Amino acid sequence: MSELRKLTFGYLGLLALLALTVGSSLVDLGGFNVALNLAIAAAKAILIAMLFMHLTGTLPRLAVAATGLWLIILFGLTLIGR
Amino acid sequence: MSGTESIAFDTPQRERRADTFAMWVFIGSEAMLFGAIFLVFLVAHVDFGPAFAAASKHLSLPLGTFNTAVLITSSFTMALAHRLALQRRWRATVWALVVTSGLGLCFLVVKGIEYGKEIGEGLAPLLGMPFRYAGPDPVHAEFFFGLYFAMTSLHALHLIGGIVVIAGMIALWRTASPANRLRRVVTVGLYWHFVDIIWVFMFPVLYLINR
Repeated sequence: MSELRKLTFGYLGLLALLALTVGSSLVDLGGFNVALNLAIAAAKAILIAMLFMHLTGTLPRLAVAATGLWLIILFGLTLIGR
Repeated sequence: MSGTESIAFDTPQRERRADTFAMWVFIGSEAMLFGAIFLVFLVAHVDFGPAFAAASKHLSLPLGTFNTAVLITSSFTMALAHRLALQRRWRATVWALVVTSGLGLCFLVVKGIEYGKEIGEGLAPLLGMPFRYAGPDPVHAEFFFGLYFAMTSLHALHLIGGIVVIAGMIALWRTASPANRLRRVVTVGLYWHFVDIIWVFMFPVLYLINR
């Protein structure tokens, strides 16, 4: 698949996910609304990182992994202490 | 001349790699900044869920959704600029950058309209402005709006920074070598996409999760 088509499909996918997340928020799914919205946001972030930001190579991935680790410590220790 | 901006690098490819890595480290530090604010919001949301849910309904879902689409589109045009720069189609690259920053401006204008609406309804606990809120638990609703303005204005500042840098890049376009043009598009693009990702999380957290 050509690069341009990949980008276009990624863009349309992002818009579809936006429609899905807004649509799902209008339906009451109980506790699942929060989980679904966050899962869709994470999916969009991964799409943007892989397709638009070309997240490849050891060093960029190392930086992202380190960010994830520190965020886990930040959120984990705060929420454990409650 | 090897076409690098700094004498520290043998080849433009090496310089671009170093730039990319530095941008990812910078993005990591920015993620910590936004992560801390998201964490404050999460803890407050757990504690004051009903008040936050009621307050969130006062935000404009149509304007928020529109703005999310605008920002996603700007990320797409930024990715196109990267693609065009790789193909050395410089005129088209500049146009893609102009459209990207224009969409960024459009986002800011819509955000400004939203702010104006909220200030008009007395929902902005800022600068000593009166906070008039008819719903339940106004104390914690005020906290929600305080966080809303803090988070969205911090994001808007980042967007303004991105627009200024793109404008500067276009202003210096003629004097830049092809390698440096590509390098700058890649670097600014990474930042732009990151600011988009922040909004992708901010939109459901502020506008949707409490509905």
